[in-house]
Amino acid sequence: MNIVVLIKQTFDTEAKIQLTGDGKVNDQGVNLIMNPYDEFAVEEAIRIKEAKGGEVTIVSLGGDKAQEAVRQALAMGADKAVLVNDPALEGADHYVVAKVLAKVLEGMEYDLILTGWVAIDDQSSQVPGRLAEVLGLPQANVVTKLEVEDGKVVCHREGDGSVEVLEVPLPAVVTAQKGLNEPRYPSLKGIMQAKKKELKKVSLGDLGLPAEEAKAKVVGYQLPEARQAGKVVEGEPAETVSQLIEFLTKEAKVI
Amino acid sequence: MAGNFIYSTRDHKFIIKEWLDVEKILGLKKFRDYYSKEDVDGILDQALTVCREMVAPSNDDGDIIGAKFNGGRVALPPSFHKAYQYVQANGWGSGHKDIDGEGILPGLLYGAVHEYMIAANPAFVAYVGLAGGIAGIIKAFGTREQVDLFTPKMFEGTWGGTMCLTEPGGGSDVGDMLSKAYPTGEPGIYRIRGTKCFITAGDHDLTENIIHLVLARIEGAAPGTKGLSLFIVPKIWVNPDGSLGEANDVATVGIEDKMGLKGSATAVLSFGEENQCRGILLGSPPDENGFGQGMAQMFKMINGARVDTGHCALAVAAVAYHNALQYAKERVQGRRITEPKGQRVPIVEHEDVRRMLLTQKAVLEAGRAMVFKAYYYLDLIAFSEDPDEVKEASRRLEVITPLIKAYCSDQAWELIALAIQVYGGYGYTEEYPVARQARDSKIYSIWEGTNYIQSMDLVGRKWRLENGAVFKEWLEEIGFFLEKHKGHETLAREFAILAEAFAAYQGLVKLVVRYFMDDIRLVPLYSTRILKATAELYCGYLLLDQALAAEAKLNQGPEDEVFYRGKIHTAQFYLRNIVPEVIATAKLIQEADTSALEMPLEAF
Repeated sequence: MNIVVLIKQTFDTEAKIQLTGDGKVNDQGVNLIMNPYDEFAVEEAIRIKEAKGGEVTIVSLGGDKAQEAVRQALAMGADKAVLVNDPALEGADHYVVAKVLAKVLEGMEYDLILTGWVAIDDQSSQVPGRLAEVLGLPQANVVTKLEVEDGKVVCHREGDGSVEVLEVPLPAVVTAQKGLNEPRYPSLKGIMQAKKKELKKVSLGDLGLPAEEAKAKVVGYQLPEARQAGKVVEGEPAETVSQLIEFLTKEAKVI
Repeated sequence: MAGNFIYSTRDHKFIIKEWLDVEKILGLKKFRDYYSKEDVDGILDQALTVCREMVAPSNDDGDIIGAKFNGGRVALPPSFHKAYQYVQANGWGSGHKDIDGEGILPGLLYGAVHEYMIAANPAFVAYVGLAGGIAGIIKAFGTREQVDLFTPKMFEGTWGGTMCLTEPGGGSDVGDMLSKAYPTGEPGIYRIRGTKCFITAGDHDLTENIIHLVLARIEGAAPGTKGLSLFIVPKIWVNPDGSLGEANDVATVGIEDKMGLKGSATAVLSFGEENQCRGILLGSPPDENGFGQGMAQMFKMINGARVDTGHCALAVAAVAYHNALQYAKERVQGRRITEPKGQRVPIVEHEDVRRMLLTQKAVLEAGRAMVFKAYYYLDLIAFSEDPDEVKEASRRLEVITPLIKAYCSDQAWELIALAIQVYGGYGYTEEYPVARQARDSKIYSIWEGTNYIQSMDLVGRKWRLENGAVFKEWLEEIGFFLEKHKGHETLAREFAILAEAFAAYQGLVKLVVRYFMDDIRLVPLYSTRILKATAELYCGYLLLDQALAAEAKLNQGPEDEVFYRGKIHTAQFYLRNIVPEVIATAKLIQEADTSALEMPLEAF
């Protein structure tokens, strides 16, 4: 069973986001990690491979630094990887990303596509759905348990106090939610073996794709406003109570 | 709550990739097909993740539950088992001590992995270190059969190991030990009798067997340390086919209730209570003078263990520093001295807190510089094919081993005291980790030869090796460094201080050599202070050398500028605030003060 796992490199969850002078997100000195939800997808793919054989291929879009995340997936036990690295993809939106990924997948043989249900940086959950649409594949989202059967997967989705069980014919796109498994840390042996595994870097030209215009463009970023200091109402109780009521009604408008 | 693991890989990456000659180490035949400089970041980052996620969670259990002695057995908390299995199974464990092991990391890299593991749980790491360390001794001195029978399972962590030296009546004075070995009908097999105490990892339930190395005197051998031999004494006898046999009459009498490192079982072991304990002699029996090989064999382990002890102290103090730093950035108290009516500020803005934090950072990085120099030398000694290189590395290591052991462990205690001080009253509570780090770190100035023993090793032994030639070469390395950078512009002040300290230190050595003849009692009176001054001189040199490497990086471009500027500030602080102590110590020793001896005992 051949599985493709789509991963994205993101900021560390603990990274403090800062903007540069020209209003872009400052990535200087920020620790980068594999999107944690993609880690569940990588782990699940490796477990399926260990149980049923086949090959796990990592596919990612990103700059030179994204290689680290890809290498981590290889060190965990994936077999090979493709990294689409092209300066023309700077500013690509989900539409473009899905089209590029679909093109990469076009030339590959796979039974299952796994990825995280959301990336922790933009949190938009757009790419898996769009990709499934472009490829014309069924999709199961936010999955916490996955069973592979003959020609299909059984996916468990947790709802509010309930579990939804879906049967999806293969090939399909399945997105991983926390709880699906506990991802492993690469062993030292895994890290060293990862060096020798194939990591193919391709440009848009290699894929035969023109640089496509994004449909959505980022106009600017703003940091949330810093928290203001609270107000302390001082004085005699009778006075302060009426002042407080005035604050609550007129300024905070909560009552 | 209390075991808050905060750590960084940045200084190690600097040391390995930007300061020491890692290409030389990775170019050695042993490593060249396995590792390259590009692998360093990935290995260190993953190692830190593993230590944070898999080892650090056992730290609280180690301190709060601890090792438990019940019914003659020692049990460790479940989280220790989980961490131990994980570390051994995933290639981060005892196997790196096997010099023949395929794909082992050089000491220079494994040293960093080891530091993260110590920092994550200092009580845990001995179980991993001893299994491999003891196997290394058996490999160095054992017969083919002994090596094959014992070491594979120890390097993979299936069996543990211990070093049984101390006895209730013989601690630092090893020569007085009472443990005895009696020949049996079987060649190489002896009956062992005796009691050993303070045995780290002496008993536990992490492994199915524990292989003790026991120092004992064969009946009729010479008195004192010269007559001692070393024996392989398995807790459970190992049959020739490698299967486990009967229990080998090794009884655990109890474990110590200690100040810290409570997860590390410190056992009292009784060998041969039933007269059934069998030991396998390592190496040859005593010669015609009754001289055994035990002490020399044990010292192969002890020298490594001394570097390791310094490194352990450093790692524990580094966690305290990282925690104190985080707290100082968050805790808001007081206003700036220059703006008494201004906003309240985080305490990291206060001058004295800055001083305390930079003292910690500077001394920690100084200690780390020494420790990694030692790993660099150890890699050359074990794996270089150039005999001159091996010889030089061995000679350097002789001198710096006592410095690493004693300076790092003495300083760790003081640095953690500063970390506690940064926290104020909260630092004195167990709610924050620094109190635990103080308790955990104190032992390092004592075990593996007290720091006084280290100072006498330096002054009484290392100074005199080959009539002083070894020490002279070491000292010349600093002299050459000063000569080479004479007239350096940006760090002129620091070079001037180092040069002054270097001159003062040479005067100190001449004076102390005279004391050996005039009044030898002055030597032990001053030796610990001499060692401290020696380490401060050496650390000043190493940090200044690091500052030069950082300066070169800054000249290349703005990448990671804050870090490299930090390295230069750290070196400047150490040179300006700590290295002058060398000059002061040299002056103080001229006093030849013997008040501590002249004072009547009753007046104390």
